[in-house]
Amino acid sequence: MFRPFFTLLPFAFIVSARADEPVEFNRDIRPILTKHCTACHGGVKEAGGISFIYREKALGKGKSGEYAIVPGKPAESDMLRRIRSSDPDEVMPKPKHGPPLPAAEIALIERWIGQGAEWQNHWAFVAPKESAPAIISDETWPTAPFDRFILHQLDRENLKPSPEASPSEWLRRVSFDLTGLPPSPEDLAAYQEALKNDLAAARAGVVDRLLALPRFGERWAAVWLDLARYSDTYGFEKDPNRDIWPFRDWVIRAFNSDMPYDQFTIEQLAGDLLPNATADQRLATAFHRNSQTNTEGGTDDEEFRVAAVIDRSNTTWTTWQATTFGCAQCHSHPYDPITHDEFYQFTAFFNSTADYDQDDDFPRMKVTADPAQTAEASALEGKMKTLREQLNQAGQDLAKTTEDWKSFTPDVFAPSHGKLAISANGVIQSEGNLPKGNIHKVSGPAAAFSALRLRILPDHDDPKKWPERGSLVTQFQVNLIDPAGGVTPVAMQEVFADRLGDVRDPAPGGNVGGFPKLDGPRWFVFVPVKSVSPVAGARLEISMTQKGETAGSQATPVRKFAIEFSTRPEWLSLVHDPQRRAAWKSRDEMSQRHKAINGTMVPIMVERPARETRVFARGNRLSKENVVSPGVPELLANNNNKDGMTRLDMARWIASPENPLTARVMVNRLWGELFGTGIVLTAEDFGTSGTPPSHPELLDHLALRFENHFKWSVKSMLREIVLSSTYRQSHRASKDLVEKDPANRLLARGPRNRLSAEMVRDQALAVAGLLSPKMHGPPVFPPQPAGVWSSVYNGAKWKDSKGEDRYRRGIYTYSKRTSGFPGFLTFDAPSRDLCSARRLVSNTPLQALVTLNDPAHIEAAQSFAKRMRDHSANLPAQLAFGVLLATQQAASPAMIDELVSLHADCVSDYQKNPADSAKLAETPNAAALVLVANTMLNLDSALTR
Amino acid sequence: MNPEHFARLQHSKLEHLTRRHFLAKCSTGLGAMWLAGSAGRAWGASGVLKKDPTNPLAPALPQFAAKAKRIIYLHMAGAPSQHELFDYKPDLLKLNGKECPKEFLEGKQFAFIQGVPKMLGPQYAFQQHGQSRAWVSDRLPHFSSVVDDVCFIKSMHTDQFNHGPAQLLVHTGSQNLGAPSIGAWATYGLGSENQNLPGFIVLTSGGKNPDAGKSVWGSGYLPSVYQGVQCRSEGEPVLYLDDPAGISRDLRRRSLNSLDRLNQKIAEDVGDPETVTRIAQYEMAYRMQIHATDAFDLKQENAATHQLYGTQPGKESFANNCLLARRLAERGVRYIQLFHWGWDSHGASASEALNKGFNERCKEVDQPMTALLKDLKQRGLLEDTLVVWGGEFGRTPMLENRGGNDNPFVGRDHNPGALTIWMAGGGVKPGISYGETDPIGYEAITNKVSVHDLHATMMQLMGFDHEKLTYPSQGVPQRLTNITKPGSQIVKGILA
Repeated sequence: MFRPFFTLLPFAFIVSARADEPVEFNRDIRPILTKHCTACHGGVKEAGGISFIYREKALGKGKSGEYAIVPGKPAESDMLRRIRSSDPDEVMPKPKHGPPLPAAEIALIERWIGQGAEWQNHWAFVAPKESAPAIISDETWPTAPFDRFILHQLDRENLKPSPEASPSEWLRRVSFDLTGLPPSPEDLAAYQEALKNDLAAARAGVVDRLLALPRFGERWAAVWLDLARYSDTYGFEKDPNRDIWPFRDWVIRAFNSDMPYDQFTIEQLAGDLLPNATADQRLATAFHRNSQTNTEGGTDDEEFRVAAVIDRSNTTWTTWQATTFGCAQCHSHPYDPITHDEFYQFTAFFNSTADYDQDDDFPRMKVTADPAQTAEASALEGKMKTLREQLNQAGQDLAKTTEDWKSFTPDVFAPSHGKLAISANGVIQSEGNLPKGNIHKVSGPAAAFSALRLRILPDHDDPKKWPERGSLVTQFQVNLIDPAGGVTPVAMQEVFADRLGDVRDPAPGGNVGGFPKLDGPRWFVFVPVKSVSPVAGARLEISMTQKGETAGSQATPVRKFAIEFSTRPEWLSLVHDPQRRAAWKSRDEMSQRHKAINGTMVPIMVERPARETRVFARGNRLSKENVVSPGVPELLANNNNKDGMTRLDMARWIASPENPLTARVMVNRLWGELFGTGIVLTAEDFGTSGTPPSHPELLDHLALRFENHFKWSVKSMLREIVLSSTYRQSHRASKDLVEKDPANRLLARGPRNRLSAEMVRDQALAVAGLLSPKMHGPPVFPPQPAGVWSSVYNGAKWKDSKGEDRYRRGIYTYSKRTSGFPGFLTFDAPSRDLCSARRLVSNTPLQALVTLNDPAHIEAAQSFAKRMRDHSANLPAQLAFGVLLATQQAASPAMIDELVSLHADCVSDYQKNPADSAKLAETPNAAALVLVANTMLNLDSALTR
Repeated sequence: MNPEHFARLQHSKLEHLTRRHFLAKCSTGLGAMWLAGSAGRAWGASGVLKKDPTNPLAPALPQFAAKAKRIIYLHMAGAPSQHELFDYKPDLLKLNGKECPKEFLEGKQFAFIQGVPKMLGPQYAFQQHGQSRAWVSDRLPHFSSVVDDVCFIKSMHTDQFNHGPAQLLVHTGSQNLGAPSIGAWATYGLGSENQNLPGFIVLTSGGKNPDAGKSVWGSGYLPSVYQGVQCRSEGEPVLYLDDPAGISRDLRRRSLNSLDRLNQKIAEDVGDPETVTRIAQYEMAYRMQIHATDAFDLKQENAATHQLYGTQPGKESFANNCLLARRLAERGVRYIQLFHWGWDSHGASASEALNKGFNERCKEVDQPMTALLKDLKQRGLLEDTLVVWGGEFGRTPMLENRGGNDNPFVGRDHNPGALTIWMAGGGVKPGISYGETDPIGYEAITNKVSVHDLHATMMQLMGFDHEKLTYPSQGVPQRLTNITKPGSQIVKGILA
């Protein structure tokens, strides 16, 4: 039922050292250590003080006082003594942990220690290197340079490459692989015609045509969206709609325009931080806003903000580095040299964005309905943000030089809920139930002021306990009460904040504090319209209304605060400065213009002042440890770590030629899509616990070629692969070959893969002539069975799309995390909850039910049958045309006979059951052809590429 | 087509196919490789489970003799209150209406309670029942009659207090998305005993999916073939199971005969072992159409049975799902997971209030779950079927005051500190109550059972060492009892 997801021969392609050869650590020793030793002597457990992850630890003295490994001296190495021991208390591995090591492996370890116990970093963490093209048996066979590596390996295994695939076999394969759609009969005819002139030119012509089709981006975006965990909903309980489809369109456009992969990487990870970032570069960062947002009642926004930040780290590592980074969340990596602290250093890159698990997915950018307005809307957003920061900065500067702050000491406390009390240092503290909408009202003898500072303080002094529950004043009201009792409200001109970038933007009337969380002491300076100079005996009354409420229905009252006054006249002159007033006015005008532009608000990454990142003990965010600064793991840093490293620096480090993984991981992904299995089977894990590459030199060659020769061009890399001799082989497999290489890892034959979930649907529509070529835009709702959607607390309904939107390509189908499109899930599409680097291909009866019975597939069969009838009046000709459409093959006479006889039996049945017949088509003849069409679309050769 | 003719056709078809299949597989196919490589034993020396790649759902033996061959898990989504059902606390009644003491609130995080709430005594009368003298409230009159077959665990606790993450934890051992559900582990470990039905079937009632969505029956990092198949009690039980309008069974059979012959020719021409597998899958799909339709046909049950369960065929209800669970258990389905919805009794609305909707929920489940236990027992199935009932967390001994204000109805907030679950059959001691909570039912205090302990115990009953049924992912051998939280204990005190 499966492609063998359990490798049958995991190390079959690794050639071990012969007795006279030097032992190579990566090839010969590391697999032994990973298999038998590192579970206990690794990054998580260092049993007996020994770890085999780092050389210095392996060569150190264990708790026993003995050295496990003494280079050059096997006899003095305790490791060997313990492995060979017959004492059950001494022997390694301990009998309950695993079987004893085979003699051959012990001999290898002995020779390795004897030769000096040379260490090597794991292959994937060392830069790829070009090795001399191998000696091969047939110099005429290769087309692409990499073909040599394949043939060389086949030579070693005494296998011969398969003959060239037929034109129709190769055309079907390359059309699906590049565009996700079958070729039309016209495409096939044109190709066969062109072949008569020049074989190579004909093939190149086909490939260049396919690469230029807009369908190319749609097919390859599907691969990327699995990694991006793209979905049209937030996830979790309510799983509401998320408008993030412009990001999907960005990915399609990026593939179609062949954006170099390094740029593609940088823009998605840190496009917002590029100098003069364009609208598209900002939109690219929606990649990491595809993490989930939890809107369930009673949830803690900080918990799910942190979950999103960690998900972004892990997704970055899986997508670009194929490294199981998430392991280090709770402890140092068990197998790979990545420490617990390094996990949090990397996570710090994502810990300074403004998003906070909010119901509205704040912060967002406007993607305009009219592309002509895109640049304007984005520029306005940028200018407004910069201007707002400049305006606030002036207050921050003045606050630094203001030294005359005097405490306001109220003597009357009249809170709407709970109690308020002041301490000697002027800090006012509340107690009791403080529901949403509660008001802290205090009054005391008035004093003159030109600025009022509100300090909001956390409950705890220990930063490790932060952030705390939110503290937000939604309405801040100051009244002057004259001795006769007359009340005059004090109008505020402006408010300055210690920092901007919060979910709520402070305004003179309120929205000051920490929301949804208070992440430390905060201050806000209110400046009145004119200075306040109260008469003797006047009083000042301050009320702070607190209507804030988090997504989880938690009220966010202020628990601890202090109020201070300054009489420095500079505050008033600052807020009344005419230039400043003009700046505010222009900001308001920009805001109006921005509002007037029609568009979709899309969540993106926006930087805010950095948060402190602390290591979580055992991965628990509630038990924080030391502070770390942003950085990349030492193992791969290549001197890239520096002080003040930003997310953009990190993105550039990933996309830099010195990064040993980025290019390898991407070429492996392209290879896996085309050949069914990557050169590294575990496309998500290149670490020591992943599988080793079947052709290590080939992987390095392709990585370097992608990076250097093709300058990160995905289209050029794919072009070379699909035109290669390896790819052009026939997929026909002899019994011997299947036995020798069931999973086709050696590639002595061409690939034959099942269609992906999207391809199954798209092909049916294409063959039926129903497929809409419409690109981009909001997701569509092709028919799905009633009752599939029923999320709690979410009234969203699946309303079948009308018109051509019923027949759009699969990539445009609405993707709901908690309830995926059934036809896709059955064909192994992931739920998009988390980053998914590879779809495990299954072969199940539920798939047969979809393609046989799904009304969408019946509708396709009806249309397909009509196309056959329109083609010819003659049944065998109709059937031959159908087989050509569905499989590109010329139907054999036996096949036509089988289908003719099926048709005949159906006709006679439908003649007897006209009611059934009428459900499918106008006549029994036509109805019979519908069933034949349905059968054709279920042929094994129609479900494979 | 008459039945006789059909049966003959079926037989000859199968014989043909089986022979072909055998030849193809055992001469060259993956099956041969598998047999040669493993000598027919699924458990290698390293404890890693090996699967026949051509039939990953083939029945497999556990690591040691299993007490439970199959599991029926009744999940009460939303988390029912233990205070109104099983965990009787006279002391809490005495505190009713008093302000909650400060020490109960310090360091606690609640979903909705704020400030100082009031204590809330049990809202319904309790009595002891059966020889086991089990305490059950008057909300479950039917269930009170079968308590001697039931093992209560009063000391369950969790560390999640929101529905989505807590449900994920209960069903996958992780509060985060991406881990396989228990049913996926069970079908991965044991395969399925009925190749004509999915091995892991999910039935929901109450009109809603679980809070955590379909991930609670997902396959996580296990191959997707092990995920739960959600079957529906209305319409076709499995999506796309019914023949399309205008295509009769006979015609479908006829078209599959052609399809099989054509695919066999392709298999010969191309030599791809997947083609042979695909032929078998189409045959299985055809059989599934018959067998699943049959399994889900409640009309086949007699009046006495309908009366026992309170079932009405054709309606989506917990009662129908309980009866279906028994029919599926009879047919060898490995893991049957039921979700009933609406137990989140906060008191914020009538439907979710202890004094309103909670009563309805109790009525909806009381008779059918009782009937399920009785029916399994009378058919001799309870011996090797493990039934588990529970929510995702417990509820507070305090009256919920949402955001500091009173709620319009009586309700309780989420409480991860204590919940009551019950189990029956499949190797657990009948008629006992295990573990205790504090005098107000707030925290489990004696014989505490964590979610992972429960999982380790369920694994044990299915014949697996929970530390040894693993699957490599993220670089480590993952297991149901989350490796990041070691120390899960089998609850030996409840094993028969």
